[in-house]
Amino acid sequence: MTVHAGAAARVRARPRRRLGPAALGVLGVLPALLLIAALIAYPVGYSIWLSLLDKHSFFPAERWVGLDNYVYLLRDTEFWDSLWKGVVYATGTTALQLVAGVVAALVLHQPFVGRTLVRALVLFPYMIPTIVAVIVWRWLLNETYGLVDYLLVAWGLVRQPIVWLGTEHVMTSLIGMSVWQFTPFVVISVLARLQTIPPELYEAARVDGASPWGRFRWITLPQLRAVLFVVILLRSIWMFTKFDTVWLWGEGAGAGREIRTLPVYAYMRTFTYYQAGYGAALAVVMLLMLMAATVAYFRLFWREEEAA
Amino acid sequence: MRRLVAAAAGAWFVALLAVPVHAQPKTVRIWQTETEPQTLAMLNQIAADFQKVRPDIEVKIEGLAWGDLEKKLTAALAAGAPPDASHGQPITCAAFAAKGLLRPLDDLVETLGRDNLVDAFRNLCRREGRYYGVGHSPASSVFVYRKDLLAQKGLKVPRTWDELIQVADALREVKDGQVVRYGLTMTGAPLFINIGVGELLKTNNGRLFDGKGRPTLTEKPVIELLDFYKKLNRVLPPGWTGHGYLDTFANLANGKAAMLYQAYGRGVGYIEKYAAKELADPAHFAVTDKVVGPSGKTPAAQLDSEPWMVFKNARNGAEAVEFLKFFFRDDNYIRYLHTVPIHLLPITKSAYKNPKYADNPTIRKWRSWVDMQEKYFRNDWIKPILVTEWDDLQKPYLLEVMGSGILVDMVMDAVKGMASPEAASKAQKRVEELLARGGYLKK
Repeated sequence: MTVHAGAAARVRARPRRRLGPAALGVLGVLPALLLIAALIAYPVGYSIWLSLLDKHSFFPAERWVGLDNYVYLLRDTEFWDSLWKGVVYATGTTALQLVAGVVAALVLHQPFVGRTLVRALVLFPYMIPTIVAVIVWRWLLNETYGLVDYLLVAWGLVRQPIVWLGTEHVMTSLIGMSVWQFTPFVVISVLARLQTIPPELYEAARVDGASPWGRFRWITLPQLRAVLFVVILLRSIWMFTKFDTVWLWGEGAGAGREIRTLPVYAYMRTFTYYQAGYGAALAVVMLLMLMAATVAYFRLFWREEEAA
Repeated sequence: MRRLVAAAAGAWFVALLAVPVHAQPKTVRIWQTETEPQTLAMLNQIAADFQKVRPDIEVKIEGLAWGDLEKKLTAALAAGAPPDASHGQPITCAAFAAKGLLRPLDDLVETLGRDNLVDAFRNLCRREGRYYGVGHSPASSVFVYRKDLLAQKGLKVPRTWDELIQVADALREVKDGQVVRYGLTMTGAPLFINIGVGELLKTNNGRLFDGKGRPTLTEKPVIELLDFYKKLNRVLPPGWTGHGYLDTFANLANGKAAMLYQAYGRGVGYIEKYAAKELADPAHFAVTDKVVGPSGKTPAAQLDSEPWMVFKNARNGAEAVEFLKFFFRDDNYIRYLHTVPIHLLPITKSAYKNPKYADNPTIRKWRSWVDMQEKYFRNDWIKPILVTEWDDLQKPYLLEVMGSGILVDMVMDAVKGMASPEAASKAQKRVEELLARGGYLKK
């Protein structure tokens, strides 16, 4: 009994350790940090490590080359060519998605019969798998048996079928198809924001005699500013790094070279040239470019926000 | 008492060990490129039959698109998870064997009988005296033309590159300002441009590499080849660079084109399915020798025969070989060959001689197509992709050259208007750099 009482006293005497708010906070975010480390930090770190090696893609031999892959990249004309094609593709598709998406969202924001159905239909391209979209569009655009050229010729809009998938127009057709596929993302984002703009703003503008264009220019556009910022940022990153659509569009065709963007080139270096180290260097450079562009974009936006 | 209990426990333990344990069957993963539904079904049937004989082995067959195989194999190897066995191009097999990735298949060859393999294909993937691959079935690319259309226009079958262009030009038909039939169709798929470069170069007495392994793209036969592609570009459908392999079969079968240069026996299936019934026979869709270049004398075609390869680190490599022995047994093998009769020809002499093999209505009907391929086999006019001489198969870097697409870019540069010597010179530098980076060539 005495022993038990003594033990109890010792327990009471020892102050209970409690986790402070900071430690609790760390514990709380730890799972997320571990997840990020496993899913982002490790692959990125490994890619950087790989880019410093001359490594065959499947043969175990590897050799430390330091920055040689990056030096080689600077004088690799294929790299510059693919970078240019990637910029053309990302800029073209993002700009067109933005215009088409905003216009479509404005139309879908207006009340009309069957609006719910049309809104659902507009989302359709975004929901179908890329491979299906590519196969269907390649079939539609084939100049020998495709429906698009058949209609263009039948309606007298062109004299000869347009070779959409040949070397001359393959980039144009890819941009068109990508805009069709990814514009619904812009539509959803912009439409969601449009629905939260207070109608009083428009009523007041009407009372002041503002024209429809004036209302769009001075009310809608400023209200959409934040959402457009995010949409432009995400869409340009996603289009610059887009692989599946571009690869499938050009794969299996000699004309595919005309749309060999940077992600496709990085893939080719890794899996068809079997140069894993150089492929990783291309991927790292792509990451750095995107980070630089994102930082510049954020700074520009903040500066304008402050000015506003 | 204690002894009794111990004895009883011991007896129980021994009895337990003696009970036959039904272990899970070992799974053999096989990748292969014959993706036609009836062929896949037959392969699965052969696998099921095999499992009846060997219940301890389960075979899983996966079909992969031909043009994708190398990329997927590489990715699987890079991930450390290749299948147990797979098809591959002969140059893939050569590259993998050189890098020590394959298990020797001498035991399979011994079972089939070394002399039982058709002579021309016995050494498809042989290195330092050992076999690393056995072709699943050989076929040759063929040149198909519409005999009736040539006859209608009083045209002779082309024999040379120039004649091919002339005949293609003459066969083009225009109605109301629209081209309703092109004289010739060819695919722009990178794999087939690689095939075309090797094949056409061989007909022009050319080569891709010299004896020391250095690329020879600036040599006269290559320049002439690029000039020929420029001429082809004028007579082919304007979108040919975007046309896939199957598009060209469709063009031929539905009358959109009168000749198909890079055809294969499986095209017969398309013709029978899509051409008008009264036309779907070899009297209308005939085959002839491949055309010869200005510097060449003999025709040449591409050997389409993916060797079976078994990976050295495969979990169940020995079991995969057991399945392949079963697959090549005449009764099974002939069933497989008959799924695409004019394309899948036997690689074993015993299957050739077996009366069951010839007893097939499609083979009887399209015999001239089979004869043409056999003629190429006999004359040694066929070589695997990018191989102009059999010794080229010892070069372990052809896979990289094919995968890089440099030869495709060279053709596209020429087709888009770059002077042939310039396009060749650009490609030469790129291949040299590729080989130097890979450690295959000293700068």
